[in-house]
Amino acid sequence: MLWLDDPASIENPILGGKFSSLAKSTADGLAVPLGFGITTHAYRDFMEAAGLTAEARKVQKVCAGLPPEKISAETAGLIEQIIRTPLPERLEKVVQESYARLSERTGIKDVPVAVRSSGESEDLAGASFAGQYETYLWISGIESVIGHMRRCWAGMFSDAVLSYQHDGKTIMDQGDFAICVGVQQMVQARAAGVMFTLDPITGDRSKVAIEACWGLGEGVVKGDITPSQFIADKVQLTLLKKSISIQPEEYRFDSESGVVGLFPIEQARQAVPCLSDAESVGLATLAKQIEKDRGAPQDIEWAIDQDGQIAVLQVRPETVWSNKAAKPTMKVASPINHVLMRMSGGKAWS
Amino acid sequence: MPKPVNSFKSPFEVETPSGAEGWESLYRYYALISEDRREFEESKFWFFDGMHNPDPLYPFDTIMTENWWVAVSQMSSRVWALPPALGIDHRIINGYLYVSPNAVTDPAKIAERQEYFTKRAGHYFENWDEIFENWKVKAMDCIDRLREMEFKPLPEYEPEESVTSHKGTYSSLEMLRDYSRLIENMLEMGSYHFEMLNLGYGAYLTYREFCQSVFPGIADQTITDMVSGIDILLFRPDDELRKLAQLAVDLGVGDTILPNRQPDEVIADLANSNAGKQWLASLEEAKDPWFWFSTGSGYCHADPVWMTDLRLPFTAMRGYINAIRSGEDVRRPLDQILEKRARVTEEYRGHLPTDEDREAFDSLLELARKVFPFVEDHNFYVEHLHHSIFWSKVRELGNVFVAHKFFDSKEDIFYLHRHEIYDALYDLMIGWAVGTQPRGEFYWKPIIAERRQIRDNLAKWTPPPALGTPPETITEPLTIMLWGITQETIEEWLGVDPNSASELRGVAASAGKVSGKARVITDPSHLYNIVDGEILVCRVTAPSWAPIFPRIRAAVSDVGGMMAHTAIVSREYGLPAVVGTGFATARIKTGDMIEVDGNIGLVRILEEQAG
Repeated sequence: MLWLDDPASIENPILGGKFSSLAKSTADGLAVPLGFGITTHAYRDFMEAAGLTAEARKVQKVCAGLPPEKISAETAGLIEQIIRTPLPERLEKVVQESYARLSERTGIKDVPVAVRSSGESEDLAGASFAGQYETYLWISGIESVIGHMRRCWAGMFSDAVLSYQHDGKTIMDQGDFAICVGVQQMVQARAAGVMFTLDPITGDRSKVAIEACWGLGEGVVKGDITPSQFIADKVQLTLLKKSISIQPEEYRFDSESGVVGLFPIEQARQAVPCLSDAESVGLATLAKQIEKDRGAPQDIEWAIDQDGQIAVLQVRPETVWSNKAAKPTMKVASPINHVLMRMSGGKAWS
Repeated sequence: MPKPVNSFKSPFEVETPSGAEGWESLYRYYALISEDRREFEESKFWFFDGMHNPDPLYPFDTIMTENWWVAVSQMSSRVWALPPALGIDHRIINGYLYVSPNAVTDPAKIAERQEYFTKRAGHYFENWDEIFENWKVKAMDCIDRLREMEFKPLPEYEPEESVTSHKGTYSSLEMLRDYSRLIENMLEMGSYHFEMLNLGYGAYLTYREFCQSVFPGIADQTITDMVSGIDILLFRPDDELRKLAQLAVDLGVGDTILPNRQPDEVIADLANSNAGKQWLASLEEAKDPWFWFSTGSGYCHADPVWMTDLRLPFTAMRGYINAIRSGEDVRRPLDQILEKRARVTEEYRGHLPTDEDREAFDSLLELARKVFPFVEDHNFYVEHLHHSIFWSKVRELGNVFVAHKFFDSKEDIFYLHRHEIYDALYDLMIGWAVGTQPRGEFYWKPIIAERRQIRDNLAKWTPPPALGTPPETITEPLTIMLWGITQETIEEWLGVDPNSASELRGVAASAGKVSGKARVITDPSHLYNIVDGEILVCRVTAPSWAPIFPRIRAAVSDVGGMMAHTAIVSREYGLPAVVGTGFATARIKTGDMIEVDGNIGLVRILEEQAG
């Protein structure tokens, strides 16, 4: 068990890609919600104690060659055991104590948390595994936390994960990957979304591109909500462009049903920008700082609460433009000749 | 021929405002639209040049517009032989200046011009710094010759020395010659004005285009910030005021200057104390050349000049004195501005993907920075220093006509075209030589009275931003840079109902977003009406309005691009500005609540003043 604000957590591989990165963000002073990681050691201890290690390795090998639709028949038994086999006593105790401590530190009884998978495989350069691992929101109470921890573990054997390919190779076949499960205080998001420290369309690194929606950011990541877009100038930290999309529904926690789901937004708020200009500039400023700390373009998930406080939910390297060979936009041998050429070209000066 | 759907009103359909009938008589035949060229006139795209001439032209002031009609045009058409462009044509409609660029479309002609252009313009770019050094010498020489000119009434008897020197020519010919020299001097400076300007804009535009292709959507103002210098002459007059304000505080004469009184009274009071005298000596020292500073574009004689109207510099100094007393440092933070420029430039450079891009960026930026001192500084030499002195000389000549009973006031001279003045001078010489009462003593006064009335009525009319048929594409660099007219502007103008639009789009000239009460200024003398915290709405702002900028919250203009003389100063003061909105002074009324978004070039009318 490692806390995000424990210095030992910074870029520690036993927290998986997502959580070790969040630990670094916490150390960098970013507003990361409080939480702890149930490490990859814990996962391995469990699998070992349950006698599932060999079975898991076999399933990963077998499924690497299978078409995705045939995978679930091979994994059903293993998943069933991950969900049901009792936890080693020491592990169960540590999870219970940590969750109790989180409730204590946040001052909220049975604090609602996000239970998130954080895979070792995310560290592989270029393989983002974006959206392949499960995240469970608004989980409350120790029983539920443990149940969802198991589901995250089982998520290692979903058809999507087992068949995930990068550079033509099935990743899960490449090594014995484990998973960390992160437990983090839930942000009461008024608005949330994703931002890139470059323009994902043009690759222009002088921009911060923000996609945002009302409520939790799930819709932006899943793609079932059309987000509003904001483009900010990263050098001047000014807003250059915004296009607001009308949003009829948002993801939020419904206290009646006790679940997170898509619920209608009242008419008056649908066309209102979910971020003020100042907030979008604030996000861009944060993105610029994160990119500077990390030394490369980043992809950042964030949320903003009713008081305008920004929380950083995930930071990971941008993978598309960063892996592409840079091409020059324009070659200028002599500036004078270039100016003369443009002045006499008769083309639009645009 | 059916009228194209997407076109503006024909210049022939523009109605004469009531009380302005016969306005055509104020201008020369060649500046008017005419039936004999109807098809041509209607096929052209004419846009209102409110940037240089926001008000109806005085007949004499057409010397300025007629100058650049030739001087700007000949550079593109005959001197550089800019391949795609000829000159910029002019027409006066209801007293307002409309302009229209001419393009070259024949590919063979474009190729022929290319050879001339590359050689000639290349020569200027390669020798830019040396040519600019010489340019300053020529400009100052021209200004010195202008300063030396003198206009006096003709003497009762020819001076003795005319006889003893056997020169054989007398005061009459000298006066005529001086007048010709005065006009020629103006046209000479007018020619220098554009000697390097188009090329300067060309280099700047190319850098801008590069930035826009590597950093799509980058703000124009950011690009200008990377190029612009800080020690430009245009800021010197205001810097002098800041220094004088500091000196007033140091000498303890601030209390004499602060109350809002006529500058003459303040100066008389200051002369009563030693400290006051010391301050006045510094004021005198600063005045020449820095107070030869027009409060308008410099193109109009009616724009007050600091030298002859001290109200504006005194108002500004009061603001600075108050600021100093409340502990502010009013000096421009030059180091900070330079440091910021270097940091911003370096950051953008660092965001470029390849070494080739960084090389292109560096070399185009270097060239843009090389040409920019001319682009920025010519404005002080030409529009402020030279033209302000020129107007004062024309008034001197006006006084000659008053002395000879042709006019009631020296200001009446501006109601005559410069060619008519040649006539009037000859008339005056005849009267002097012959001893007959010249006809001019009867002839001009009623004409001037009538013209004044016509012009006053024209001034109440709001000129539409464009007339005629817009071109398929706008390629002429000056049109875009100076007037801020692009394809989008034209589409916007075509789509806007000037009577009801609640949003006006323009060029984002200076970043920031604020809302506040509008103050619509169509006459520079109403500048003093501005209340702290209002938003200035005008046809065009002049750089010398700078001293009122600390009092306003934002600026909006009908006309102008991001390179307009103004935009530079707005940015310096860090105020949001939207220029080139087309209709702001027609649509917005003083007292309306408006929102100015200088980030995206949008003005929103939030609440209209009742009634």
